[in-house]
Amino acid sequence: MTALSSPYAHNNQSVRKVMLQVQLAALPALLAHIYLFGYGIVIQWMLAVTTAIVVEYVMLTLRGRPVLPFMTDMSALITVTGLVFCIPPEAPWWIVVSGSAFALIFGKHLYGGLGYNPFNPAMLGYAFLLISFPVPMTQWTMPGEVVGYTLDFMHSAQVIFMGHFDGNSLDMITGATPLNELRTGLSQGVMVPDTLRAHDSQLPWGLNSWAWINIAFILGGLYMILNGTISWQYPLGFLGALSAMALLFHAIDPAVYPPLSFVLLSGGTMLAAFFIITDPVTASTTPRGKLIYAAGIGVLVYVIRSWGAFPDGIAFAILLMNIAVPLIDQYTQPRVFGHSR
Amino acid sequence: MIEAIIVFLGLAIVFGLLLGYASLRFKVEGNPMAERIDKVLPQTQCGQCGFPGCKPYAEALAKGESEVNLCIPGGTEVMIQISEITGREPKEMDAEAAEPKPKEVAFIDEDLCIGCVLCIKECPVDAILGATKQMHTVIQKECTGCEKCVPVCPVDCISMQPIEITTKNWQWPEPQTVQEAK
Amino acid sequence: MGLLQRLATLLPLANHWLHRFHGGVSPQYNKSLSASQPLRTTLMPSQLVLPLQQPVGLPAEPIVQVGERVKKNQLLAQAGKDPRKALIVPIHAPTSGTIEAIMPMTLPHPSGLEDLCIVLKPDGLDEAIDNALQVDGSAPQTPQALKDILLQAGIIGMGGAGFPTYAKIPSEAGKIHTLLVNGAECEPFITCDDLLMQTHADEIVRGALITAHALGAKRILCGIETNKPAAINAMRHAAKQLQHDNLKVEIKEVATVYPMGAQKQLTFELTGVEMPSKAHAVDLGMLMMNVATYAAIYRAVTLGEPLTSRIVTVSGLGLEKPFNMPVMIGTPFVELAEAAKPKVALDYPLVMGGPMMGFQVQNNQVPVLKTTNCILANPPEPAEMQMPCIRCGACMDACPVNLLPQQMYWHAQAHEFDKVEKLNVFDCIECGCCSYVCPSHIPLVQYYRHAKSEIKTIKAEQQATELAKQRHEFKLARIEREKEEREARLKAKKEAVKQEVAAASSAATDAAKPAKSAAAAAAAARAAAARKAKSAATQAESPAIPPARLKAIEAAKAASARAAKQTAEKSPEKTQQAGAEDTTLDAKAAARKAAQLAAQKRAQAKVSGNIEISDNKESANTPDSKPDPKAAAKAAAMKAAAQRREKTQQAGSSQTAEASTSPKTEAIDLTGSSEATPASEKEAARKAAMAAAREAAKARAAAKKQPVSEALSAAEPGASSSEVAPDPAEAARLKREKAMQAAKARAAQKRQAADNSNAASDASSQESSS
Repeated sequence: MTALSSPYAHNNQSVRKVMLQVQLAALPALLAHIYLFGYGIVIQWMLAVTTAIVVEYVMLTLRGRPVLPFMTDMSALITVTGLVFCIPPEAPWWIVVSGSAFALIFGKHLYGGLGYNPFNPAMLGYAFLLISFPVPMTQWTMPGEVVGYTLDFMHSAQVIFMGHFDGNSLDMITGATPLNELRTGLSQGVMVPDTLRAHDSQLPWGLNSWAWINIAFILGGLYMILNGTISWQYPLGFLGALSAMALLFHAIDPAVYPPLSFVLLSGGTMLAAFFIITDPVTASTTPRGKLIYAAGIGVLVYVIRSWGAFPDGIAFAILLMNIAVPLIDQYTQPRVFGHSR
Repeated sequence: MIEAIIVFLGLAIVFGLLLGYASLRFKVEGNPMAERIDKVLPQTQCGQCGFPGCKPYAEALAKGESEVNLCIPGGTEVMIQISEITGREPKEMDAEAAEPKPKEVAFIDEDLCIGCVLCIKECPVDAILGATKQMHTVIQKECTGCEKCVPVCPVDCISMQPIEITTKNWQWPEPQTVQEAK
Repeated sequence: MGLLQRLATLLPLANHWLHRFHGGVSPQYNKSLSASQPLRTTLMPSQLVLPLQQPVGLPAEPIVQVGERVKKNQLLAQAGKDPRKALIVPIHAPTSGTIEAIMPMTLPHPSGLEDLCIVLKPDGLDEAIDNALQVDGSAPQTPQALKDILLQAGIIGMGGAGFPTYAKIPSEAGKIHTLLVNGAECEPFITCDDLLMQTHADEIVRGALITAHALGAKRILCGIETNKPAAINAMRHAAKQLQHDNLKVEIKEVATVYPMGAQKQLTFELTGVEMPSKAHAVDLGMLMMNVATYAAIYRAVTLGEPLTSRIVTVSGLGLEKPFNMPVMIGTPFVELAEAAKPKVALDYPLVMGGPMMGFQVQNNQVPVLKTTNCILANPPEPAEMQMPCIRCGACMDACPVNLLPQQMYWHAQAHEFDKVEKLNVFDCIECGCCSYVCPSHIPLVQYYRHAKSEIKTIKAEQQATELAKQRHEFKLARIEREKEEREARLKAKKEAVKQEVAAASSAATDAAKPAKSAAAAAAAARAAAARKAKSAATQAESPAIPPARLKAIEAAKAASARAAKQTAEKSPEKTQQAGAEDTTLDAKAAARKAAQLAAQKRAQAKVSGNIEISDNKESANTPDSKPDPKAAAKAAAMKAAAQRREKTQQAGSSQTAEASTSPKTEAIDLTGSSEATPASEKEAARKAAMAAAREAAKARAAAKKQPVSEALSAAEPGASSSEVAPDPAEAARLKREKAMQAAKARAAQKRQAADNSNAASDASSQESSS
């Protein structure tokens, strides 16, 4: 198969390379996760990848597609990696398996495979888990700084596959995330500053483990921006809008609305900013569209976090904005050279 | 009870008026369906559908008096467009018509032509020039390729020939897609 | 700039701050492959192939014979038609030799189609005609003078598009204020312009000065990419040496980014003017040409040399010794590639142009054209598999026109070409940046090329369809009209039976008076009938006779008189006989009866109260009014038609034919009717009628040749008579009625004639009417 038409040159970029770049950029966060929360995430990640391989193979065969090129495009890897970061590290094994399978089957293959899915598969899988299994999805393993130790590989495996380790119940090591605590605190009449004060961290600069994971994501994200893997418009729009909301409402009532630093460095903020909303398939593609799309997610995340039913609104915010993408693209077409608007 | 009746009566009146207004306000003049069908027909005026031209066929279709798969030159593509406009089930084309033929134009072998004017009479778009006892010729630009002139020629001097491809009318072929969306 | 450049080497993102236009890419340039080598001496090829068809315009026509010996610079083919309209450029012999053949050969075109080429066998002597263009070496003072030389020299844009240069230059002096010199050779591998600027900078500068002088341009700007420092130096040096009368070539460095050399992009870069989508640079007072074109202009204007050779880069990863060489136009690709020592056998297609915008030739024997800047031999690489679009937007970031390649691709592959067009696909310059960066390896440019040609075809088809529809509808209308005419003829035939009797009797009455010539008798008969008709009409509608009708009656009288006169002149004996034999009492009685019948009918018409209908009937009833509308209307119609259409000749001839035959026909008609009763004259009448029918048929055939004028003639009589009608709505109706009436009358009269004649004449009339 020779290319008939020019150009006969290429910059040697490929879908696989792009995906591997993303995977590489997620490495700092993965390492930080292992250091702070233990090996649970590694087991989850391996489970997810195994599921992905099986699901991809079965689905591609069923759909009558060439298996090898599409297996090796690595897009499924990125999907499940994004999902794994959203799942509690010691969640039961069937959570990540069903979530990954759902994400790939319903989020990708049923829409026609890579490039044809309107919704972010990882977030679709996450939303599916969040709605179907709310309890295990909110039981986060506490980081080492809180519990005093992290589980090693074998103990994590025990918890994930059997629900306990050395006869100890899972409840021993799980708790609420800072976002969750804030929410429960507010519902019990505890003001935000008090909740935050009660959980001062021993880690450098007083930042808790979740904040450090977010910082690791920022590192990976900056790397991707610099080598051109992702557009800068996504993080800028998202973080800009989220910051604006946080600053505004914190200024209005600091007792109820957390400060900017907490908003930016809690939950999946940075994961979303650099790894999830930048998925080009489901995002707006025009320069202004990217900003609008990302800013929309930022606003929605803040809204869901502050007034919605879920502690972290990233999945729903992204899925909602996914719906709006065709509309945004339609109205943000750039001015073509030589045309007045 | 009585309130319900009154409410529903009121609603009926309101909606009735609305519908009446809408039918007046958005009234469509003429028979747009026939015109829309006429637009998608290839206008070869070949009569292969059994009607004396494209417009009569379009009108018959609009009235629902004809099948959607009769336009041979239009092929499957036009058939689907017609069924979309008329809202009727698409029907299989006859085997030979399903494949779109490359456009051809009539060509008169001027050595053989006896000037009988039969083809001139037959041509639906007056694309043949000539007079009695004089050689005829086809205005290629205006020939629709309906082939109506071919059978009437008493000396069989008319043939259909594909339009010659030159560097001026050559087209870039469509790239082959490796993966067709299913 | 320097700082930014250093930053750009570290950070690819910073590249975008170095230039003004959006997007662009920085491919592997590979320019040193050929640029490091000195210019090689010209290769004498085994044969030269010169296509008559240039990239733009119509083919030239050869003026040499096969077997003829030609010298270098001799004219081989030139424009047969007006070259200015058809954009034809002449072709000259690149060297001396014999014409071997003029035959179809494969063209250097992506299609690989064949077309007529002149094949020249060089004799190796390279005998040249000096100053083949016969110039005096002085600089042309007006754009027209320059254009004439450029046309003769066969110079076309040598950057790639190949648009004839003479056609690009405006004819008015002072229209161009800025002359742009394109030295931004942005395609990878190609270095021919680089080498030309290094070695012939003075020619380029002189060419630019000549052009600017002739056009009255105030400023000359030359843009050269920063990756050609030697060329920049050479050009700066030449520009400094050669400036005169306030005109000098300003050399500007522009960033090294692809596609800097695209016309609109470089214009934007040099002047800051963003050329509107549909506008040409000339409209904005700017003219951009390639450096090689300027050098060719210099050689044509001062040395009288036509364009027969150019510098070509022969490069590629598959060649051992890439080079640049002044190459004769028509040299086969493969001979040049072989001269560069290919690493592997050249069994893969060579590329004409660069890797970004060039195309693979279908046959490596194809010749070098005036637009061939590079022959590229890159061995085929295993192509990456095409993946689905992941909407990454890399194409959009790379597009120098700021299009949305990804969305255009989406619609193009779905064959939604209207949407592709809405996304401004026609602004796409096919630079290939989008395909170059696409991680999914989608051949985007080919999709756009396909979509563009599809859109053009669809538009052409739509036009053709619309035309076919109109023509078909017109044909239907014509058939309908003819049918109506036939019906009217039939109806008139019935009437005619009655009228024959009436006319004969009235003629007889008048003829009964003594000492009256036959001609007078006939005239009187007409007049009497007309009078009768008039009086009847006056009786019936005395309160308000429409002026139109009055006019019609008057016209009828005049026409009948004229007709009668002609009858008298044409066939005096016949009429005489008729007049003599018709003096019978029986005839008188019959005439009276007929008159009564007519009166009754008129009365009925009166009852119906419809002026139009009565009018109509009258015209059908009274033979006199028959010729009237026809003659009057026809004359008016023909006049109008003649005025409107500029084909005066055709219209005029058909008009005269009609006009001259119609009275004749009428005349014979009249004789026919007046002779109808006596059995002895029937034979003569038939003969006369046949003759009349044939003549009428001929006239109609002549008229039918341009159906439009015929249609006009049907419509016009109404127009002429409706001028007097007061009410516009009424006028419109009247118009239609009158037209119908005219048509019917004509038909009736013809039918009458044909009726008497035999089947043969009938057939002939039918044939002619179709």
